[in-house]
Amino acid sequence: MDWGIVGDILRLTALGGLGVAGVIAVLIWKKNRSTRVTFLRFVIQATALAAIFYVLSYTVSPASGGLPPIMFLYVMVAVFAMTIVLGRVFCGWLCPFGFIMDLESQIRRAAKIRYRIVPDKFNVALHKSRYVILLVFLLLPVVLWFSDPRPIMVSPLMAQLLAGHYRPYSVLLDPLIPFIVPWKGQVIVDQVNLTYPYALSIITYAGTNIGQILAIAFVGTTLAGAFAVRRVWCRFCPTGASLAVVNRFKGFKWAPILHISKDEEKCTKCGVCKRVCPVQVNEVYEQKSGKIITSQCMVCARCVEMCPYEDVLMVKLGSKTLFKSRNWLEPSRNE
Amino acid sequence: MITVGMDLGTQRVKAVVLKDGAVASRGQALSSFDPTKAAEQAVEEALKAAGLKLSDVSYFAATGSAMDMAPYANGTVSMMGADAKAGVYLFPKARTIVDVGAEEARAVKCNEKGIMVDFVVNERCAAGAGAFIEAMARALEVKLEDLGQLALKAERASPINASCVIFGESDVVSLIHRQESKPEIARAVFDAMADRISSMVHRLGVNPDVVLVGGVAKDVGFIDSLNRKLGLTVSIPQYPDYAGALGAALTAASRAKGAQK
Amino acid sequence: MNEENMMNEPVEKRYMPEVSRKEIDELKTTMKAASQKVMAENIERMKKADPKRPEAMKYFDEISNLFGKRQEEIAAEKAKGKKVIGYMCLFAPTELILAADAIPVRVNSGWYDTSKLGDRVVPVEVCPVIRSTIGAKMIELSPFMEQSDALISVLTCDGMTKLGEILSDYKTIWGMNVPRIKDSTQSLRFWNDEIKQMKNQIETFTGNKITRNKLKEAIELSHRATKAFRRLQELRKGSPVIMGRDAMLVNQTFLWDDKLRWTQKTEALCDELEKRAQRKDWVCSPDTPRVMITGTPMFWPDNWKLPTLVEESNPQGIIVADEQCSGERILNDPVGVDEWSMDDMLNAIGERYLMASTCPCFTSKDGNEDRINWLLNKVKDWKVQGVVYYVVRGCMLYAMEYTRVKKALDKINVPVYYLDTEYTREDVGQMKTRVEAFLEMLTARVDM
Repeated sequence: MDWGIVGDILRLTALGGLGVAGVIAVLIWKKNRSTRVTFLRFVIQATALAAIFYVLSYTVSPASGGLPPIMFLYVMVAVFAMTIVLGRVFCGWLCPFGFIMDLESQIRRAAKIRYRIVPDKFNVALHKSRYVILLVFLLLPVVLWFSDPRPIMVSPLMAQLLAGHYRPYSVLLDPLIPFIVPWKGQVIVDQVNLTYPYALSIITYAGTNIGQILAIAFVGTTLAGAFAVRRVWCRFCPTGASLAVVNRFKGFKWAPILHISKDEEKCTKCGVCKRVCPVQVNEVYEQKSGKIITSQCMVCARCVEMCPYEDVLMVKLGSKTLFKSRNWLEPSRNE
Repeated sequence: MITVGMDLGTQRVKAVVLKDGAVASRGQALSSFDPTKAAEQAVEEALKAAGLKLSDVSYFAATGSAMDMAPYANGTVSMMGADAKAGVYLFPKARTIVDVGAEEARAVKCNEKGIMVDFVVNERCAAGAGAFIEAMARALEVKLEDLGQLALKAERASPINASCVIFGESDVVSLIHRQESKPEIARAVFDAMADRISSMVHRLGVNPDVVLVGGVAKDVGFIDSLNRKLGLTVSIPQYPDYAGALGAALTAASRAKGAQK
Repeated sequence: MNEENMMNEPVEKRYMPEVSRKEIDELKTTMKAASQKVMAENIERMKKADPKRPEAMKYFDEISNLFGKRQEEIAAEKAKGKKVIGYMCLFAPTELILAADAIPVRVNSGWYDTSKLGDRVVPVEVCPVIRSTIGAKMIELSPFMEQSDALISVLTCDGMTKLGEILSDYKTIWGMNVPRIKDSTQSLRFWNDEIKQMKNQIETFTGNKITRNKLKEAIELSHRATKAFRRLQELRKGSPVIMGRDAMLVNQTFLWDDKLRWTQKTEALCDELEKRAQRKDWVCSPDTPRVMITGTPMFWPDNWKLPTLVEESNPQGIIVADEQCSGERILNDPVGVDEWSMDDMLNAIGERYLMASTCPCFTSKDGNEDRINWLLNKVKDWKVQGVVYYVVRGCMLYAMEYTRVKKALDKINVPVYYLDTEYTREDVGQMKTRVEAFLEMLTARVDM
């Protein structure tokens, strides 16, 4: 019996318990309906971040031998399967990088600095460009290999595919590598902490010298960008694209099962939903009714929470309504 | 069971005596300045014709613009409701009842039970009502009863303004000055009025069984114009001007029956 | 135009005829007396219609007197240096006015008599609301109009567009240009700029800076008012606990009352009504046909004839909802602030006034579908059995939208009656006939 695993499971269970406690605490004490879901989301994001951080830096830290490459494949399949059922819940509620950007937004908010709006057309263009970015990240190693052929480690082909220079999973799961503890990150290259999505890929592909400069520039721009524009990276995140692409196929019209739905008749088109959306999804405003079909939506439910009219917007799982807009100005009581 | 319906219209008061679901007799009187008294007269006349006394009547229902002043009344019913009842009673297939009275025109849509489901009233203006014809007859110096026959003789109509009685009258005068023939002007008068009525009917949605009631339904000229404008033949009861009173009497009967139960 | 000029009345009147002081005073005295009588009579009839009228209505009866307490309060505030900013259309952003420590009042006139005076300036075909407002200004009848230091004129319907121009003979007018197509990005951008411009204008005029905190306070105050307002509307969804006229009066007093006090009094009223609802103490039989009014705004005091007719007719009806800018639209929509930064608050205000409005002046690629949807929604939620579509002559936009509304309501089998009238008391008899027939029809449908 490996007691280490038991300890890990216990610790993660305890963490999960803390998460649940946090959720219950928010449900009990957070009365303001226009921020309740946001608080819930923060609790879940924080728990997810802690769990992922723990798993990546202790359980499977490079010191302990790291995660077997094949495990990354399993994680990937799991996240994709979740996407089919729950849509981009991963992006909205779990992704550690998303959490960091949300925290940045909170800091900006506390500083009473306004956010910037990306013009709608440009936003849609960005959204589309993520498929290109995804493709570039996937093709880059191949191109680089041709220009500078390195000896291929022939040892099992699978391992080469998953853990060598060509690392598609790393492109697809990079946001899992959160930029959280600068002094104890998972990936430190030449004293530069690169526990940051995509930075490692850049270094790997572009070679260490240019790569480090590029990576630091990348880190700087995304962090600064996320301060000015809400969830800026999500608009062209290759992971998001790869997750969203699942629901693009014809056979998957029923997916995601978890989605935002709208009742046109009760809507006054006041536009609040559109304004509060952190990734500027237009469909929730423009689409008349029914399931909101867009791969941009991360089901963060901010629109549902802020909609001031009863039963207009709903978070639905299949045909079951989980949460609906509740007229956050519920009838006043004498306080 | 005997019930009486009174229709206190703007010009005349009409009364209908209903005996076990069939009309027993009718009576009418000029409204003048005292509609109450006129109604008493009309009821008296009708009861006399049927050989009945006031005390024989189990329910009096009133309708018409002065219904609040009705004597004996046990209850009232709106003019549109009365029209619907009477229309379906007289023509069971009827679903649209057009009532053109002296100062108001109404179109009522109803269901097979004679319950109205929608109605339109002409906009506060007499141009779509009997008073318009009266004024035009005066302008043409023709007797009101002869105007209809006159219009039937016309081959074509001269257009006139029917948005208002006063403007209509001056239009007629200018037609006279242009020496248009009287029959043509008469037909123009009816056409203009039928135009307004038919647009009212269209607003309700036309169905083929249209009943025309009210005093103006006695005017052949108007019936001819309305038939042409609507593109169908409207049904007209034998006593179109008693439709309101009949409707009231029918309502009275059903209310009295309801009370017995 | 520099500021100094703006403050003074123009020397030459561009629209208004010269009326002698003597005539003004005479007309004002008679019309004021007549109006006071009408107000007293309306309230008397409302009391009679509901013998157990809620205690809390006393306050609204008092504040509804246009020549009474509120006018004196505003005068006192003005003496202390506060500015009064009037507006003629609900699109005026009251939060900005409140944030600048000024008093917002709506100045549309509901006086029938003054519409005849308006005929001296504009032809009778013009909407009587406009004519009456012009007439009221001509003889200085409306205390709130007289107290206004500036007027916000929003270019919604044709009448409103020119009314501001005509009143500029007397007052400083700030025009706000509403884009008529609602659902385009450029419209919202344009309107948000108008809101920002209005903020600057109000700041300069009052001399008070609209700070972030002040604006936040103002928005929170209006949130609280909206809460109370919605609670009252919510109560009307069930069996009738309040006469429609009473609720309409409460809604309308918000337009001139102190916002905080109004909110407290409305909350008190709702408490009382909730207790009644628990006791199942209804104002009339729960079978009474439930009527909704939509169309032209109905301004206190004279414009009370339709609600009075509906609720005093035989068979009786009860007004459970309305979709009018003199009622429901005043406070139904909250300002949905995401982040309390100046920028977001202003955008939220912009959206609340433009996008959420169901004014018929709008159109879009689907036509004014918002209004239709909202009407259908209201019919369902408030269990409305019949709709009275109230239009005064000359009110083009509402009149023109009727056909579409009728078709939509026909589909869900809810009867609607188009009732057109004027600013006059003479047609009450005719209206009564129609309203009674309509209610009789509703009753018959219930029995069917």
